This record gives sequence, structure tokens and C-alpha cells, in this order.
Amino acid sequence: MNDGPLIVQSDKTLLLEVDHEKADACRKAIAPFAELERAPEHVHTYRVTPLALWNARAAGHDAEQVIDALIGHSRYPVPHALLVDIAETMSRYGRLRLEKHPIQGLILTTTDRAVLEEVLRSKKVQPLLGERISDDAVAVHPSERGNIKQTLLKLGWPAEDLAGYVDGEHHPIELREDGWALRPYQKDAADAFWHGGSGVVVLPCGAGKTIVGAAAMAHAQATTLILVTNTVSAHQWKQELLRRTSLTEDEIGEYTGTKKEIRPVTIATYQVMTTRRQGVYRHLELFDARDWGLVVYDEVHLLPAPIFRMTADLQARRRVGLTATLVREDGREGDVFSLIGPKRYDAPWKEMENQGWIAPADCVEVRVTLSEDERLAYAMAEPDERYRFCSTTPSKVRVAEALVRRHAGEQVLVIGQYIDQLDEIGEHLDAPVIKGETRVRERERLFQAFRDREIQVLVVSKVANFSIDLPEAAVAIQVSGTFGSRQEEAQRLGRVLRPKADGGGARFYSLVSRDTVDQEFAAHRQRFLAEQGYAYHIIDADDVGEENPAR
Amino acid sequence: MGTEFSEWLRGRSDERLRALVAARPELVTPVPAHIEGLAARAGSPSAVGRALDRLDRFTLAVLETLALQPGPATREALRSPLARACAGAPGAEALDAALDEALDRLRTRALVYDHPDERGDDALLPAPGVAEALEPPAALGPPATEVFRHHPPEHLETILADVHADGSGPAGGRAPRERLAALLADHDAVGRLVGEVSPQARAALEELAWGPPSGRLPNARREVAAAAAQSPVEQLLARALLGATGEETVALPREVGLFLRGGRVHRDLSPRPPDLEGPVRDQDRADRTAAGQAFAFARTVEELCELWSVDPPGVLRAGGLAVRDLKRTAQLLDLPEWAAGLVAEVCLAAGLVAAGDGEWLPTGGYDGWRVKATEDRWALLASAWAGMDRVPGLIGGRDERDRPLNALHPDLRRPGAAQVRTRTMAVLAAAGPGVAPTPESVLARLAWEQPRRRAAMRDRLAEFALREAEHIGVTGLGVLAGHGRAVIGAGTAADASGVAAALLAPLLPEPVDHVLLQADLTAVAPGPLTGDLGRWLALAADVESKGGATVYRFGEQSIRRALDAGQSADEVLAMLEKHSATPVPQPLSYLVTDVARRHGRIRVGTASAYVRCDDPALLDEVLADKRAGLLRLRRLAPTVLASKTSRAALVDSLRAMGYAPVAESLEGDVVVARADARRTEGQILPRAHNVSGPDPEVVAAAVRAIRAGDEAHRTRRRPSDAPGGQVPRSPATATIQALQEAIREGARVWIGYLDSQGHATSRILEPARMEGGYLTAYDETRATVHRFALHRITGVAQYTG
Repeated sequence: MNDGPLIVQSDKTLLLEVDHEKADACRKAIAPFAELERAPEHVHTYRVTPLALWNARAAGHDAEQVIDALIGHSRYPVPHALLVDIAETMSRYGRLRLEKHPIQGLILTTTDRAVLEEVLRSKKVQPLLGERISDDAVAVHPSERGNIKQTLLKLGWPAEDLAGYVDGEHHPIELREDGWALRPYQKDAADAFWHGGSGVVVLPCGAGKTIVGAAAMAHAQATTLILVTNTVSAHQWKQELLRRTSLTEDEIGEYTGTKKEIRPVTIATYQVMTTRRQGVYRHLELFDARDWGLVVYDEVHLLPAPIFRMTADLQARRRVGLTATLVREDGREGDVFSLIGPKRYDAPWKEMENQGWIAPADCVEVRVTLSEDERLAYAMAEPDERYRFCSTTPSKVRVAEALVRRHAGEQVLVIGQYIDQLDEIGEHLDAPVIKGETRVRERERLFQAFRDREIQVLVVSKVANFSIDLPEAAVAIQVSGTFGSRQEEAQRLGRVLRPKADGGGARFYSLVSRDTVDQEFAAHRQRFLAEQGYAYHIIDADDVGEENPAR
Repeated sequence: MGTEFSEWLRGRSDERLRALVAARPELVTPVPAHIEGLAARAGSPSAVGRALDRLDRFTLAVLETLALQPGPATREALRSPLARACAGAPGAEALDAALDEALDRLRTRALVYDHPDERGDDALLPAPGVAEALEPPAALGPPATEVFRHHPPEHLETILADVHADGSGPAGGRAPRERLAALLADHDAVGRLVGEVSPQARAALEELAWGPPSGRLPNARREVAAAAAQSPVEQLLARALLGATGEETVALPREVGLFLRGGRVHRDLSPRPPDLEGPVRDQDRADRTAAGQAFAFARTVEELCELWSVDPPGVLRAGGLAVRDLKRTAQLLDLPEWAAGLVAEVCLAAGLVAAGDGEWLPTGGYDGWRVKATEDRWALLASAWAGMDRVPGLIGGRDERDRPLNALHPDLRRPGAAQVRTRTMAVLAAAGPGVAPTPESVLARLAWEQPRRRAAMRDRLAEFALREAEHIGVTGLGVLAGHGRAVIGAGTAADASGVAAALLAPLLPEPVDHVLLQADLTAVAPGPLTGDLGRWLALAADVESKGGATVYRFGEQSIRRALDAGQSADEVLAMLEKHSATPVPQPLSYLVTDVARRHGRIRVGTASAYVRCDDPALLDEVLADKRAGLLRLRRLAPTVLASKTSRAALVDSLRAMGYAPVAESLEGDVVVARADARRTEGQILPRAHNVSGPDPEVVAAAVRAIRAGDEAHRTRRRPSDAPGGQVPRSPATATIQALQEAIREGARVWIGYLDSQGHATSRILEPARMEGGYLTAYDETRATVHRFALHRITGVAQYTG
């Protein structure tokens, strides 16, 4: 009997016992072809999906290695059907290839004629193709390079894109490593991307994805288009690039709602790119404004659908996607795979945390009990009003205050969904509130003040959720939120995960009304966070005073 | 000749006879009365056919070679054509060994018998009935006498005259047909004739020599003279190198074919079976992989039965499982449809499910199976699979009449399915440790082992068997696993299962008695759980993922279920602490206490009727009444009584007690009853007969019985000459034997025959052919060819007129 740390389940999940002495070796062996799905304290769950297997293929692993890894580390015999399935799935990648032909241009070739015949019969593929050149090759309209990859992936025959890239307009970019240095994993990530051509780098929040982007630009030495989620994020990218690279103020342009600069390095927001006037995307020309040598996608998991469509036309340019997770709420992981590229680098959160790159977080759920009157009112509320009602109960304001008092002297962030509630809390705590209507300039001023420890407590609404950088937030208190969304959890947690100067752990509180729909959402959150490996416990609101903050 | 064969059989030792009966068990069902009976049965077409079906290609070739010899043939006479046919294969020693083995096999099976040739040397003859059953041997054409049987004698004379242009041919006396046959048997003469024809004609001959020995030709019966022959075919017809066998068919006479084959009977013959080719894998790893699959398979079977316990699919009117139900089952089991069909079929074969009340339900046998250890469960399933005569692979296809074939339908039976399956597995077993033979080489080996079986069906069945073996876990990575070998191995059924289970057990995950509890409210059981813990967890948590381990998830619902089952929060927590290898996470204990806090605050009961009255005193009165005892009243509140009797009965009783109740409308009257898991007593499919042959005891007993019967028979026996003027009477077996002999020798016989009115008549016949229970013969009495039903022939006597 083998005593390996891995148990292979028939639903293609892999259970890894983390306390096992061979767990580390096993993790390394299975990471290329299995996505970490859950990482609670004792047993981590990986899932083997077709996309994960194809990612492994793209990274140069073959079925034999995968099967050896499974059999070699598995504690129990691995069902044969599963092995067959894995080998079969992996063999599908690369049977079709996109290549560049000196005369015909872009062509689709195959090593297996039957496969080519099969896909040629598909009605969805036919309009994307040109003439049949030989038995094993067919011309592809150059403009359909992205579409054909998407379509073939849906048919289950992902094509390997070997057609290469245009170099783009040359522009010198150097990393300026003074006073800081590229972390090893950041260098690995950038190198892995560059050797792979195009693809996605998966790093947890706070692991310095911006720097990986900068390193990728230094590899490319070419004009770069950076797509980010919002204006604040665009500013931060700019600041970071100025600090970390040889680029100067004049070389970096912002293309946002307010500014329309096109420079060798241009940072644009998804929002402006997806603005439509009379059904027409008004800023599409940005993609052709320069001969971009590299396109950087920040937060790939939030990439809106229109950007996917635009990206389909950018297949000749190098693309790098940066994200904390490949999981998309809309299930379009396949489009990321075919349009941006396969996963090129991945580091598990927990591992980075162990290495000290990110601060460990302690998650506490505080259960607030509604008063009897509130309970009655809650029971009678309209269904669509219920969540708002229970999540904005006045008791929460009191608990939030108690928590802020307890963490006096630390940088505290209060996050919420409802402006009234946030305003009330801001008033009680005498803290500034950042919400949708706050002007960008004001926002940045407050953030800077928070960073400089001039302000200890900051109350933020949903707008603070994406791509902002609050380095010294040690405590986050979530009073309300429309969750169940896995992304938001990751984002919120990202806020407080920054390594602190004193190396102390961050703390994440979420306030939940007992026996209401709020608690149901909290159950999702609890599951998600526990699955991410964070310590999680539940206390009652009455215990807040007594709980020892040092614990 | 028939008697010679009987005598030869009689002279065999008991041991040899036992070997014969063991190899051809159909000879003793029922046990023949005496050796003559045994000999007659051994020579009957069906018995010979079955015996031939079991011969491998080389042994069959030996027998064919023997059958083509004019008389008794010595070993040496057989060896030379075989040696030529085996030219491509390895050396002489291999051939000699294989030939000896083959001859021994044929003797054992009484397909040949010893008979000295003219010079008195040791030689062999094919047993009665064998030559007929082999027809046409080695894909040769019919003998010349047969080909030219229907040619007018004048036509044959013309041909003879043509081919003997030099006038050297043997002069008349014999019939032209005989003379022509004699001519074609002479290799020199045929050689000369072949030399005369054009190259195209020779090419046509070559084609016919190894290919099918007949062809189609319009107006085949044309008469052509050698001089006038135009086309290549006409040249051949004119020289009798080709003969018309019908209006539009021509055939190559056997003698010509043999000449063209140049002293060989077979083209490419190998004394050894073809090698099994395929990758070599680590046997240990293959065993483990197979065990993994076996574990998964046993679990799938359990899942299917559990599924069907609560939600049984219906039985189609024609029998079987609806396509829709199979699809649904496949989906629920997360299997492809063929695999789901296989699981259902194995369940049926193992007697775990059966049709009852128009639904497919698990049987009582399933309950017994479920409590066994995994390895025993698997062994039972695997041996049921190995022995079943149904073919799950056909599910989803269509039968000959284009009707869809449904799972569990009676039409899935295919005689010989079990045999092919066993043979396929035997081939894998022969491959040696770690070898995973390719399907092609397995099929090639099967074809070599039993060339006479229908190839298309056999190949399909064998491919199904390979695929199914992999899915069931008999093989792993294409290699027969140790436990798989035991399941398909010889020996009595119970024994094999036991051995297989013993081999499988150490490869399976060992039961564990602990789980790992985690903060995301899951419990991971790193192996199959011991019975009690497994049952408890199934109650208190939901299964999220299965396999070697089981992942359970705790939720409000599942904790509530445990509390509903009568456990307290403290008991649940104690159970968790006792069986967790790690500390119980705080969120989990919080969940338990939180659910318990709210559990049972609202209470619900069932009552079929209630009594409501604004005056509590009146209700006191009712309760105090002794007659109310039967009504099972319970006071819920001062003014409300609940009762378990029906409203109508309550009203009637209260009236009888002298009150004046009024019935209220039926609100709140809900009786919840969960449908329980159901079982059927339906018929369990009888196990298919044992394919590995009869037990040695049965064989020995049969031989003893035959010997004893034979002794008695011989003391009674009288010489049976043709009774003058009497309608002949002889035992049926002897009749058939005598007729076969007459066909072979072309002799005329005198038979007694019951005509269609039942009158006994006697006829003089020249028997030509015997098949399908009929004798075709030339009836000299009536001067016509006629078919005679064998069962109406009362007896045969030699005609010496």
C-alpha cells in the first residue's frame, strides 16, 4: 500500500493532506494540471478540469507526467477510467495549430486529419476559414485568429497558437531596482510569460502584480497598452511605473473619462473602452492608435465581455493578463484561455503567505442579534427590502464603534454597501467617508492621508473595492455588502492583506445579523474564506467587549 | 467404417474416454447407452461441428489436410504439406511438436482415429462425419466428381477428347465423369493443361486457387471446344480446369486447386499462435489501477441500487429499461451511457436488481450484498459479469430487425457471449505479467484459436469484453490484474470469487475510523469509513465528493437532520470530537449549537381530526368519558383536543356518546409519509451455465455409465443382416451412421420409411447428402431425387442387389 498524501476522487477532485511529509513534493507535481479549489487547514482540494489540463499541455507537460504524478502520489489506487479521461483530454490540445505560412498567411494545420475534418464540418467554424490548402491545412482569415481559437475551444479541440507576434513599436523600458528588488516569484512570473508568448499570471492580491506587469514591459521593450479596471487604479499604475521603471511622466499617458492621452505607454480603463454612443464603441481606435508591442490586462477575472470581443482582434500582439484568480463569476474562463492565453504562472496564496510576502489574516464573524421589534419588522418586510433592512440594523453601528475602539491606534477600514449606514458610522466615528460621489482628487487625498497615518479610520463604500492600494490597513470591518460573490471577498481581503511594517497579522471583521438573510450570505463568505485557508471564527456581538484583541 | 470407429473408441482406455467427454461435454448430454451410441453421437453433424469450432487454426489445418488425403494417412504424409504451408514460420522442431500436439488433440477428441494404411503402417483416418463437416476444407472447391455431376456425358466426352488430343488418355469402360476426375487427379496432366492456356487464364486460375474457388459467369453451361475457346474463361471451361456448377456459377475443381497450390493445402500457416503484442507495464501498478477501478465500480453499483430503491425506473412493456431512464441513470452516476448500461446489466446478472410490479427494483439479494466487504462485493459482480450470456455492449444499437436494443431487455442475450468473454480474458491471461496486449493482437489470437467461429460477432463481443473488463477493474492499464485472473480462472465459482477477493483486499483502501474536520465545515474521511461512523456521518452531513476518500459537508440542514434523528447538540459535538483527528473547528461547533438553539422551538405533530369547543368544561367531560379511550384524544389547549381517529369516526363516536358535534372543514389535516425504500421479490435471473466444462466427477461418471451400458449391449447384440423382404429396423443412431457411410461410399441402401400417411414402405436409395434432419437421395424405386425426413426412416440395410 502506498502512503502518498493524495487521494483521487472520482469527480476529478484531488484531496491533498497538507500535514503529510510528502505534501510539498506532491503539491509541486500536481500544481501544473490541477486548480487549487479549496485550501482549508488540513486537506486541500484541487480540481482537474479540461482547461487545467490544457494549461498543463501548453506549459509542456504531457499526459504521461500527469498520470505518473497522480499514481505516484496517490494513497489509493487511481480509477482507470479517470486516467483514460485525462489522457484523452490532454491529447486534444495541440492536434490543431495556428501557424504562419510564408505565402498563405495564417493557417490552421493539424496532426490528425480526422480532427480537422470534424471541426471543418462545424457550422460555427466554416465562416472563419478560407481556402483548403492541403489535406492537413486550411487558411484562416487573419482577423479571425481570436474567434477561431474561441470556437475551437468550445468544440473541445483547443488550438495551439504558434503564429507568433508582431514586435510593435520599439520603446526602451528598464526596471530601476534602487532600494527595492524584483522578488524571485515576480521574476519567474514575468519570465514564464515572456517564454510562453502570451498568457495569464495568477498572483494573490498584494503580491505585486503591477511589478510583474512592469517586468513584462521591460522584456518587451515596446510600446504598451495597459487596461485597468478604473481611474484610481490607472493613477496607481502610473505612480508605480514611474517609481519602478525608467519611464518618465511624459512617456505615460492616461486614457480615462477625463484625460485622453496617447503616449508610448498608455493606461486605459475598461470603462472608457466599453463606453458606447449610439451603439458604437467610441474609443476603439485606441487599439490602432499606435503599433502596440504589448497589451497588459489588469484583473483579468473582471474583464468585461466587450473587451473580450476587442481582444479577439488583437491576437497578433503579445498579451499578458494579471489576476488573483482564474475563477470568473460568469464562467468565461475558457475565453480567457483562448483569447489572452494559457496560465503561465501560478503561486498559491498560502504558500506566499508562508514566505512572508503577504500578511496572514484572521477572519472574525460577529453575530448581531436583532431586537424583537426589528425581528417583527424584518419578518414583514418585502423580500427585496429584507437584506437592506437586516444589514443596516443600528446594532451594527454600535458593534462597529466598539471594534474601532478596540483597535485604536491601528489603521482601520470600514467597508459597507449602504451610503446611509456609512454616513451614520462616519458621523459616529468622526471619520471621513468615501463614496461614489466623492471626487477623484478628494479620494486620493484621503487615501494618501490614510497612508501617511494622518487618518486612522476610513469609511469606504463599494467603490473602494477594486484595485486601490491601502498599504497599512490592518483591520477591515465589513458592515454590509451584496455578497455571495467570491470576487468581492478576495478583493476585500486583499485590502487588509498587505504586509505591515511590524509584521503583525491583519484582521477582517464582518458584522452579520443573526437569523436573517444576512447570515445566509455570511455562510458563503465563511466557506470561501475558510476554503482560502484563513482562520475563521464566529463570535457573538456581546462578546466583542470581552474578546482579547491580542489573541 | 463406422464399426471400425466404434471399435477404436471401445479400445481406448477409460482415461482417454474421460478426456474425450471432458473435451466434448455435449456427447454425454444425455449419456449414451453404449459405445456405439457414443460413436454415433460423436459422428453426428452437430456434435462434430461443435468439436471443430473449438479447434485452433493449426489443428484444424492438420485435420483438413488429413481429410483431403485419399485414404488413411501416416504422420509423415501429413507433415509434408504442412511443412510447406509453414515455410514462413520457425523451424522444423516447432512444427513437429505442434503436429504431435495437434494429432494428440484430435485423437483425444475422437475427430481422427488410428487405422493402418494399405502397407500396414500406422496411419490415421478422420472420424465419421468429420470430412462432411469440414466441407469445403481449406476453402477449396468441390471435387471434380461433384463439379461435373450435372454435366451431360456427351459434353464430358467432348472435353475428354479435347484434352486428350494426343489420344493417350485411358480408354472407356468407366463413366466419363470418373475418367475426368481421374485425369484431374493426375498432377502431370493438370500441369500440361494449365500450360496450354493463355497468361490471362492462368492469372484467373491463380486468383481462384487461394481466393474463393468459385465465380459468377453468365451462361456458365455453354459448351466450348478447346479449339473454339475465345476468352480466358472459355479456355478453362474447355479444359475442365473450371466447371459450371449452375446456370451462372463456375467452380474450380478441388484437384485443380490442389495442383495450383503446389503441394500445400494452406497458404500461411503457423504452428504457434500469433504473439500478443503491446506495451509492457508494471504489473503492480496495473493491479492497483484495476483495484481503483474495482472499488469505483462496486460503489457505482451501490449508487445505482440506492437510486433505484427510492426512484425505480419502469419496466418497458417489451421488457427492459427505457432509453430515457438509462440516460438519466447515466447522468446521475456521471458515467457514459454504455458504462451505465453495463452497471445495470451486471446488477441484473448478479441478482441485485430485478423487475417487479412493473418497475426495476433492487432485490433482497442486494441487501445481503451491501453488507459484504468491498472485495467480496466486487468478486460477486465480476464473476456475474464473466458468466453472463447477455451483451451490455449492444445497448443503444439496433437488432437485425432495426429495433432499438434496450438495457435489461431479454433480446440482449447472445449465446456464446460468456464463452467469448472467457476466452478473451484467457488470452489476456496468456500474455504474461505486465503485458497489455493491443486489441488487434487479442482479436488475432482469438481468430487463431477458433477460426471457425463467426468472426464479426466474435470480434465485437471480444472488444466489448476488453472495454468492460477495464471498466469493472478486471484489467488495469490493459493488463489483466491478479484479482481479475482469479475471477476468470478455472475452478468452481465460489472458490474463484474467494481467491479474487483475497487478492483484491490488500489493494483496496482500508476502512478508517476518523475524519479530518475543517473550518470550511467539511469533514474528509481519508478512506472508507467503518460502518457506524459512516452511517452517522451520512446522517449529520451531506456527501460532497466520493472516491478513495469521502468529503462530507456540514450545513444547517444536515445538522438539523441529526437533531431530528434524536441526537442532542452535545451528542453531536461529542461524536465529532471522538472521531476527529484534529480539533473541532470553532465555526463547526458554533454551527451545531446555533442550529440546536433553534431546533424544536416549534413543534409539529399529526392529528387526523380535532375537537374544538369554547367551553373547557365540556371537553373535560368528553375526556373523562371511558368510551373516549378508543378515540385517542389529546388535549393541546384548554379548548382543543386532537385525535388520531378520522374525522368521520370521531363525529360518529361523539354522536354515539350523546354529543351533537358538527364537522369542520379539512384545514390542517396533512399526513406526511415518506415513501420507503422498496424491494422486489421478482425473479432473479438464473445464472448462465458454467462455461468451463463439466466437472471431472461428471465426466468420470458418464464414462463409467457408457462402459457399463456397452457391456450389456454387446452381450445382447446379434448380427444384423439385411432382413429379406422385411422393412428394415435399426436404432436411430445406427441409421444415421449407416447413411453417412453410404453417402461416403456412394453405396445404395435399402430403407424403411414411413410416408406422410404413416404407412411403412421400403425404398432403395442412393443417398447424396444429409443435412438439417433430411436425407437427400436418389430414389431408385421411383427414379427421382427426393428428400426424406430422417426421423421417419425406420431403418437402413445394405442393399446388395
